[in-house]
Amino acid sequence: MADLRAVEDRTQIRAAGGFLGPLARAQYAAMVRMRCRMFVIGLRTIRGILELGANGIQLMVFSVIGIGLGLGLGFTSYSLAHHGAWQYLPIEFWVVLFVWQMIPITMASFQDQFDMSGLLRFPLSFGSFYVLYLIFGLLDVSTIMGAMCCLGILIGIVTAHHELLPWTLLALLEFAAFNILLARAILAWVDRWLSQRRTREIVSALFLLFFVSLQLLNPAVREDRSRDFMNREKRAELRHKREVALSPALDKVKAAQVWLPPGITAGVLQHASENKPVVAVGVLAGLGLYALGIGGVLGIRLRAEFRGENLGEAPNQTKQETREQRWLLDGGGPIAATIEKELRTLFRSMPQIYALGVPVLMVFVVGSLFRNGPSLGRPPFQYALPVCVAYGLLGFTRIIYNNLGTEGTGIQLIFMSPTPIRAVILAKNLFHGSLYLLMALFSGIMACLRVGVPSPTLLAITVAWLIFALPANLAVGDIMSLTMAYRVNPGRVTRQPGSQGNALLSMLIQTLLLGVGGAVVAMCTFADKMWLAAPILVACGGIAILLWTRVLANVDAMANDRRDTLIETLAKIG
Amino acid sequence: MESMAIQTHGLTRRFGALTAVEDVTLSVSSGQFFGFLGPNGAGKSTTIKMLTGLLEPSGGTVEILGQPFTAGALELKRQIGVVPEGMALLGRLTAPEYLRFVGRMYGLDRDTVNQRTEELLEFMKLAGERRKLVTDFSHGMQKKLALAGAVIHGPKVLFLDEPFEGVDAVAAGMLKAMLQGMIQRGATIFLTTHVLEIVERLCSHVAIIHQGRLVANGSIEDLRAGVASSLPGTEGSRKLTLEEIFLSIVGASNLEPAQELSWLT
Repeated sequence: MADLRAVEDRTQIRAAGGFLGPLARAQYAAMVRMRCRMFVIGLRTIRGILELGANGIQLMVFSVIGIGLGLGLGFTSYSLAHHGAWQYLPIEFWVVLFVWQMIPITMASFQDQFDMSGLLRFPLSFGSFYVLYLIFGLLDVSTIMGAMCCLGILIGIVTAHHELLPWTLLALLEFAAFNILLARAILAWVDRWLSQRRTREIVSALFLLFFVSLQLLNPAVREDRSRDFMNREKRAELRHKREVALSPALDKVKAAQVWLPPGITAGVLQHASENKPVVAVGVLAGLGLYALGIGGVLGIRLRAEFRGENLGEAPNQTKQETREQRWLLDGGGPIAATIEKELRTLFRSMPQIYALGVPVLMVFVVGSLFRNGPSLGRPPFQYALPVCVAYGLLGFTRIIYNNLGTEGTGIQLIFMSPTPIRAVILAKNLFHGSLYLLMALFSGIMACLRVGVPSPTLLAITVAWLIFALPANLAVGDIMSLTMAYRVNPGRVTRQPGSQGNALLSMLIQTLLLGVGGAVVAMCTFADKMWLAAPILVACGGIAILLWTRVLANVDAMANDRRDTLIETLAKIG
Repeated sequence: MESMAIQTHGLTRRFGALTAVEDVTLSVSSGQFFGFLGPNGAGKSTTIKMLTGLLEPSGGTVEILGQPFTAGALELKRQIGVVPEGMALLGRLTAPEYLRFVGRMYGLDRDTVNQRTEELLEFMKLAGERRKLVTDFSHGMQKKLALAGAVIHGPKVLFLDEPFEGVDAVAAGMLKAMLQGMIQRGATIFLTTHVLEIVERLCSHVAIIHQGRLVANGSIEDLRAGVASSLPGTEGSRKLTLEEIFLSIVGASNLEPAQELSWLT
């Protein structure tokens, strides 16, 4: 970075050649070197090696899924191109778009991301800042999977029509660029919206409205839900009626989607296959405009960050009344104090509330899938309740398995104060456990509302599984919180450090706990004594509670053994 | 016999092959305002972390108020207050919430916590910012809040790591008065700072650490006399400042012009 000292202001930065000039290139090289050094230095610790291993496993798993998706899309596109059924090609691109955009949102909290604000002190041009924002994290799961899907489509179409190679390549490259920019823009704006109260409330309202709208759409697009069994003819007649009723709406959707990126991408290929190169170029330009537009939307956000925008709540506070604050929990002692602190911190962290609440909402939304029994002449899926309850608890993975992550420098206070760390961890466990049960209750109610009340045996089994899963999760969560902690900024969704190792292990444990429950139920069902599953799971719960108390008893020793690493990791000082 | 507030024997901390603090033995009497000085990277913060239970020593012992200090010495922790390097703040709480949380963690009852919180917020001039999250505070305000949190339980021994960094002159004057008041009431203060004028004005005793080793320890007058006797021409001519004493002891008093960065404008 020796060239940098001559540069004093933004004018000189521009004079130095913009985002592709010698200065920018020197900066990119310095950043790459810095990241490489950080990677190598990270490997000096066991945690670093574990993280690398976890990254490798994650990459492998998603690559396999991506290859599967790519193969499926490849065969489909070959078939569509071969038979000239271009009108169905947009469906493939909508699938790719969905995969590309959903993965970053669902995995944002587990990804180890680079915070760009640290770069602002350097003489960096906005162009370079933008380029670096796009480059860092480019090789993430969504891009890899999206790229594999696109590769599959490319191979499929080109195998059917060799002459379409340049068109397919160009269209897919533009579509990929659009997706990358869109994913980044969504995350950047979500971070912005969730950081301030007013916008947070608007986003929450829109979010809820979206899910409620989905529910209102449900009756229109699904078959009659009457519990009466219908004969084949009556069902076919109903289906026909529905298709006729929905036909105008579907035609409108079809006409509209032609103007959207997946439709446009498919349009390029269709026009190219019909030997209309001028039209194809025009449509390709339209796709380019979409990419540019979304790049501009991302640019607006990044420009604000580049100017040193503060995403804090400060400006809103002056308008608020200065009413006296009360204690939320009146109980004496550090346990009540810690629970109150956790409660306040949680209520001020919209990303955390979303993480906890979204699985429950999803239970409400997708619960209807379990109701497809009657139309097929079968009763509803009987295990809907335990599945929904278990799924509703996924949102807790992060806070239970990294329960010190949001402490920041406050971890020093925990070690300095005369309160045993056991009391702090117990308070966190009680708080998270209560929330866990509350969410399980909500998930259960949602599932019952959507699918119907299950048999008392199944209800007992679900409760017994919770008695087993809750303390088991807390016990393992406490151990992992002390041994694999990572710092979390509760106010942000993206661009903060994560731990692939912690994420992978916690998911593994969750799967194991679900597996134990499933295996017990399966064995008892096989023995025709399903009722036996509940007492067995309660017995497992007894063991889990014993394990949890043992862990709690050893928390102080474990924390003190890991004190240096915990403070260094969470407080990031010295 | 003079009672000791802080005593260390052969305190050592190693980070792999690096020895950050080596064989530090010092004593701080009760009621003393003690300055702990050293250049950057000398081992000041590492020492203070070991003295407050934030870092485990690789060797040696620490005694606070005559009792061995370990991470599990909870009753002893009740007697000490700390403003560590990272300030130990909780960014998502407001200042009153943070102080109440700290007070409860130190076992104070509700009324005492509420009363002291209000007094400290008024004293630190933070009462007008009671709805603002700590994360949105300026660095100086965070320092003041960290200091308020360190004293809310009325500690007998107070450890301060760079408490005046980023604090404005008015607030610094106020804080100094508060700390002097604590000393008068019998508290012991262990202070690290790079602002030598503050140490010279406040502290009665000073220790200097350099490259992990204690190179000087005693009253400022003793150090002054020792340095004066070793520097030709200074004896009896004028009173050496603490800065001159410090630079002389750490061997940085004779920077040659050649060492300057000539390319700087």
